[in-house]
Amino acid sequence: MRRLRSLLAEPLLHFLLLGAALFAVYRRVAPGGESRRIVLRAPQVAGIADEFRSTWGREPSAAELDALVESAVRDEIAWREGVALGLDRDDPVIRRRVRQKLEVMTEESLAAPPPGDRELEAWLAGHPDAFRRPARVTWQQVLVAPGDGRGVDVDGRTAAIRAALARGEPAVSLGENTLLPRRGDDVGLDLVARDFGPGFAESLGGLPLGEWSGPVASGVGLHLVRVERRTPASMPPLEEVRAAVARELEADRRRRALEESYRRLRAEYDVVVETAPAAGAGE
Amino acid sequence: MNPSTSSEPRSPGALLARRVALGVSIAASVALAIAACTAPPAPRGPTAASASGAAATAAAGAAPVADAYPTRVWWGDEHVHSGWSGDAGLAGTILSPEDAVRFVRGEELTSNTGQKAKLAQPLDWVVVTDHSDAMGVINEVRAGAPEFLADPTSKRWGEMMKEGGEAGQKAAREAVTAQANGRLPKPFMDPKWMVSAWEKTIDVMERYDEPGRFTAFIGYEWTSNAVAGDNLHRNVIFRDGGARARQVLPLTTFQSRDPATLWAWLAAYETKTGGKVLAIPHNGNLSNGRMFEEKTYDGGAIDRAWAEARARWEPLFELYQYKGQSEAHPALSPTDEFARFELWDTANLDGVAKKPGMLRTEYWREALGAGLRLQGSLGVNPFRLGAVAGTDTHTGLSAPIEDDFWGKFPSNEPSPDRWERVYKKEQSGYVRRDWTLGAQGYTGVWAVANTREALWDAMMRRETYATSGPRITVRFFGGWDFVDAEMQGPDLVAAGYSRGVPMGGSLRGAKGRRPTFLVAATKAPGGANLDRAQVVKGWVDASGKQHERIWDVAWSDADRRRPVRGKVPPVGDTVDLARATYTNDIGATELFAHFEDPEFDPRQRAFYYLRVLEIPTPRWTAFDAVRYGVKPTADVTMKQQERAATSPIWYDPA
Repeated sequence: MRRLRSLLAEPLLHFLLLGAALFAVYRRVAPGGESRRIVLRAPQVAGIADEFRSTWGREPSAAELDALVESAVRDEIAWREGVALGLDRDDPVIRRRVRQKLEVMTEESLAAPPPGDRELEAWLAGHPDAFRRPARVTWQQVLVAPGDGRGVDVDGRTAAIRAALARGEPAVSLGENTLLPRRGDDVGLDLVARDFGPGFAESLGGLPLGEWSGPVASGVGLHLVRVERRTPASMPPLEEVRAAVARELEADRRRRALEESYRRLRAEYDVVVETAPAAGAGE
Repeated sequence: MNPSTSSEPRSPGALLARRVALGVSIAASVALAIAACTAPPAPRGPTAASASGAAATAAAGAAPVADAYPTRVWWGDEHVHSGWSGDAGLAGTILSPEDAVRFVRGEELTSNTGQKAKLAQPLDWVVVTDHSDAMGVINEVRAGAPEFLADPTSKRWGEMMKEGGEAGQKAAREAVTAQANGRLPKPFMDPKWMVSAWEKTIDVMERYDEPGRFTAFIGYEWTSNAVAGDNLHRNVIFRDGGARARQVLPLTTFQSRDPATLWAWLAAYETKTGGKVLAIPHNGNLSNGRMFEEKTYDGGAIDRAWAEARARWEPLFELYQYKGQSEAHPALSPTDEFARFELWDTANLDGVAKKPGMLRTEYWREALGAGLRLQGSLGVNPFRLGAVAGTDTHTGLSAPIEDDFWGKFPSNEPSPDRWERVYKKEQSGYVRRDWTLGAQGYTGVWAVANTREALWDAMMRRETYATSGPRITVRFFGGWDFVDAEMQGPDLVAAGYSRGVPMGGSLRGAKGRRPTFLVAATKAPGGANLDRAQVVKGWVDASGKQHERIWDVAWSDADRRRPVRGKVPPVGDTVDLARATYTNDIGATELFAHFEDPEFDPRQRAFYYLRVLEIPTPRWTAFDAVRYGVKPTADVTMKQQERAATSPIWYDPA
């Protein structure tokens, strides 16, 4: 009994048993003599050289090409031996790659002819928000006070600035110092929103033209605002956004095709998902 | 007193800046005739002629419809991975490069963990930088096949491919074009003929690049980890469109891990295609001392040619990203009380522990100083690095936003326990958890138009700045004769460009004058107020020793914040962790300063950069705690002071 136990603890025995097991597996899965042949065809070798050329913009030297070819041979041998040992199975990297490849393949194989004008027009009409040109304004502003004007006599300052404006002083010389644009010429409200905040840009849409309004609160401070001119938001004609419309339509098409393809494949499988036994059940 | 301590501002400009920040003066200037958005380029003064060509480049790079000089900052992320990066795919990222672009354009997507994700504020540009290693797994099949012989086009391509070389490439390009136009011959619809991942990435960028509206750069990441996890990664960004980028395949580290090899590849690309390309190193903090080591990759001595190549191809450095900041480290800058910020300084990428001495060659500020020193010995400054930031997201979702942080990998997409999940167990035994990820950062680019060409040119001349996320607007100009009155918004920009250089530029030949600087910052609209603006100076003395000094040049609440022993006291803290909120009761909406270096020595090479800090705000971990009702442990950082740091302005005596 003791002898058996010490024999079982013997590393040499482990080694031999492991070796025997590996050998048995190997015998069963190793490729036969004929498949122990690796042929790199001329186009493949040319492909290796091409890749080098694409990367470096010059011809590989003979030594470089030899090394690359040898590396390809090594890849192939490692792949065959590894697969024979089942190293590809249950490997999350490989599974993820295979899924990616399959999905890209599916996308490619479902490629439909480019959409025609009618389809594009319909898409544009159906998704106006994605293509609408923002309203534009020509306007100017005077910063009355930073922030929410707390601790500042906002009314007093507003009155003083309005009086100065009434005297004909240029707006650009009035108010608090600021890096914000003091005026904009036919500028999109989307850009105004970036500088002043979305709420402020929106409020420019409702101010009376040609007179000083406010103070209006922005994301930076309180402003007197004068809108000179307003061009409403507009839908561009298809000719001006054709590429973008086609891109959106095709992206949507690809997404749907991929989902549809998965749905069909899944329907061909009998999927059983076993739930874990409830706590306390079983042993 | 420590020589590096920030001191009370000595210039009248800084004092005036306090008044402006305080808001006591309704500063009215008589010289505000020019509005920034419509200003013509002012004539260049005599001093500008002695400066570098940075400002001149700004004007020369303008497209016909573009402004004379940059009037708008364009926001973007120079570092985004999709599921096509091997490690991202392994981690469960399924979003593609196309998804990544659509997300930053403001579209709502379903995240990798099935949650709805949408950016509140879209970006102006992006670079999708999937790892080149294993990117091309979806390879073209080049070998001929019988079914092609039936179709004339297929047959011709098949023969060209068999021929190999240029003909083979031409066939592949033709096939790619046909594929893009949906005109592939039938046999090619066979999935075997899929184009490579690189080609597909280029296709996506071409489709989404809309000059003037949104810029989608073609790029990739060259991911050298030296021998074991020493981060020497570079983001490669092309100025060009697909016609040029398709002529090459990205460099992989299977070919080499030596950055000099990448520089050679970049040079080969430009020679071959006539195009333009640059590289951005990142995460010096995880390089275990190798990012800015003063020797070649193989340990040899560096020389002028090495320095020239590095300076030529790497004009920028990534300061902030999810895996920590590489701007400055408290151990290297002990008097910088703001350097203790989003630090990942325990190990390299593989968890190999950091040893003493490694920090010195990992951080940007130290490297800027080393560059000045090396300029003395090599004749060229290899580390003339401007400032950019990105996320390095591996989820396809670029979201360096505290209250909308989507994590680096799918495992740290929003969930109640993400803060405590193990990111990595490091060699030292330290268990790094996901809460140490920082929700940062973005790059602001001052460019004359939102196009690949204009943005790339601005990156090349370093007219860029890094932020930890908030879209703070920052202006920084250096010149020889700026005056206080020029702190006025529109004046400042016009004066800055006409008589000085913007961030990223150089001043040369003092001729008895001192460098003067114009500083302005506006908080992110609707965001947190600003605490202070600082000028960070680094220089090298006659013995080659590096020094640094930080001046607070403008700050908020000046009536109650008098400098104490040379330091402006903390701004205060309005953060309410119980609700993950703050108020703007403290801080300033805008800061302005005119700064003149009081310690200027015309014989010493120097750099100056501007850093602007926000008031304290809740960190993403605080938003998570409130959103999910969880209580992170006491070691978890829950608030922070977000910031922006500009590219330096260099002074060179020669």
